[in-house]
Amino acid sequence: MELFLLEHKKLWRKRSTKISVMLCFIYIVVFGSILSYQWFTFGSSDNHTSAFGNHFDGYSMIRNRQAYSRSFGGELTDETLQEIINDYQKIEAADIEQASDITDWQTIDNYLSLLWPELKDTDIYKIIISYVDSEKVTGLYERRQQAIESFLENNGQTGQEKDYLLRINESVKTPFHYEWSQGWATLLGDVIPDLGSVLALFLSIVLSSLFAGEWRNNTSALVLTTRHGWKTVACAKILTGFAFALELYLLLSAGNIVSQLLFLGVTGWNMPIQIVKLTAIAPMNMLQAEIYEYVFLLLGIIGFTGIVMLISSAVKNNVSALLLSLAVIYTPLIITKYLPYEIQKMLDLIPLVGNSADIFRTNTFHIFGAYIWSPYLLITVPVLIGLTCLPFTVSCWAKRQKA
Amino acid sequence: MELSLDRLTKQYGRKAAVDRVSAELGTGVHGLLGANGAGKTSLMRMLCAILEPTSGEVFLNGKEITGMGAAYRNLLGYLPQDFGYYPNYTAMEFLLYIAALKGIPKKIAKKRAVELLELVGLTEVTDKKIKTYSGGMKQRIGIAQALLNSPEILILDEPTAGLDPKERVRFRNLLADYAGDKIVILSTHIVSDIEMIADDVLLMKSGKILLQGTVPDLTRQMEGKVWELMIQPEDTKIWQAKATITNLRHEGSQIILRILSDTKPDEGAVLCEPTLEDLYLYYFPTKEGVM
Repeated sequence: MELFLLEHKKLWRKRSTKISVMLCFIYIVVFGSILSYQWFTFGSSDNHTSAFGNHFDGYSMIRNRQAYSRSFGGELTDETLQEIINDYQKIEAADIEQASDITDWQTIDNYLSLLWPELKDTDIYKIIISYVDSEKVTGLYERRQQAIESFLENNGQTGQEKDYLLRINESVKTPFHYEWSQGWATLLGDVIPDLGSVLALFLSIVLSSLFAGEWRNNTSALVLTTRHGWKTVACAKILTGFAFALELYLLLSAGNIVSQLLFLGVTGWNMPIQIVKLTAIAPMNMLQAEIYEYVFLLLGIIGFTGIVMLISSAVKNNVSALLLSLAVIYTPLIITKYLPYEIQKMLDLIPLVGNSADIFRTNTFHIFGAYIWSPYLLITVPVLIGLTCLPFTVSCWAKRQKA
Repeated sequence: MELSLDRLTKQYGRKAAVDRVSAELGTGVHGLLGANGAGKTSLMRMLCAILEPTSGEVFLNGKEITGMGAAYRNLLGYLPQDFGYYPNYTAMEFLLYIAALKGIPKKIAKKRAVELLELVGLTEVTDKKIKTYSGGMKQRIGIAQALLNSPEILILDEPTAGLDPKERVRFRNLLADYAGDKIVILSTHIVSDIEMIADDVLLMKSGKILLQGTVPDLTRQMEGKVWELMIQPEDTKIWQAKATITNLRHEGSQIILRILSDTKPDEGAVLCEPTLEDLYLYYFPTKEGVM
């Protein structure tokens, strides 16, 4: 315990640690969360050429949008959908800026494009919600079911795989509870899923020197000739690595959640995630999805931390350890699109390479004849990879010196 | 207590840094003498079990040291040649950290650290960051950390590097006090340090131990080989070219050379009392230390 506390103190005393944590906090919480809510994502639009031309009024605009969407009653039926469309068209006719600023037009327009493509008039440059005849917008849930089935067919997901996914979808309850959704869409589709790759950068910067730094300081010979210098100190360093990862995670998650509560509130927590993406099959509400995404991030961080520590103990140079750690995550992210789909899916199992937004998708892994919905593996395999690295980290540290 | 080295060898590619070294090292101070690249550091690292021998073994009281693991490291104090430290730590913090690694309970560690800082003369800068220390002060911190656990086996690689003459004297006294029934092995380029404190000297060259013995035993081997000769200044270059000169001093308008030679180098040469430095330079005539 004492060694762990000393190692932990040592890590936090480094200037690189303090600077990394500060930059990470500024980027994720201040820029990616607070300023995004207040300014460039939810601020009212002024200069349409750039989100940075928005007004600095996100807080009040979010309140307006939430109040407006709430006026449609809570349940999403054909009738509510028609009402929303009619109201949008009325507001747009009076003031197009107002329509854009307070309505949930992106969500509804997506529904229309996906479920009623035949109503799209290619000769009209406007978005479909602007001109569609609301009377023709009927059969929301039947059309959703058809859309999922055709999507799976077009995706080559047929037979047993299709049945498996449709079985998951059967648990999704209808009619959907509806409220303003753009806040949740941004949070669950962008803010939390993007945290992983940013955290990976800062974790690499801080933790790649955890073991390798002892060679840089020329302290490895000292440490390794002490009674606890082999396994005990390696375990203390491993605990330190995880403690730091957890602290960084808690700091950023807390910052994000506080700003989420401040700007978005809790309104809409019980909406199903299908409100954000109609073809999603997971029977989850927004709160469950958020919890899933934060757990996904935590387990991914643990897995990635395990890998970084292994690299740090296996090489004697800070820069090499940093570059290798970054390569573990960013190489797959860069090259994945050029690889066959099956390989892409395997790469997604590397910690923080996969995406928590897979709960909105219908990806599966085919293992030993069984189909497994991708989030089940994406949340478990990365942490197992990281934990598997630990014994090797200890032995690399203890034996590396003896080359 | 005895360390036994049995045909200890460390090979880097084709080069043998340590070549089948066998020796018995009992309690007392053992001075390891050799030029750069002689294999001293590799030998010391193998004795610390942080460098794996290519072949051969090291035993402590008959037990192979790598098999002893933490029990062996518990007896060990080590000052590496390129002593590393954490620049942002104070001397006290650094010693407490190393004490924790050595498994010394916190209360005892603090007391011991205070004692050692006093012993190495760093009491006044205890709370200053090590990065602000001079080279000699850093070296003293290194010596202090090696002594933290009152090791039974103390291995010091170039401990006097960076110490000024006064500090060297303090270090020699400290080590002489400490040794007693413990095994102390130190390597240094400064022959006089070994001459003053080593009970036993090992002369290493090209990975091998050429000689081992007490200082009087070893210097006795040089009897009849150390000469002094008075010459004219203009003859200096001639003598430097044809003999191993270990010292040159002016006396009036003439020069007195100290020459190593198996035979009388000149009619005017007179025999003189050999020192360990003469022995060292006799075996390393083309390396440093030779004029």
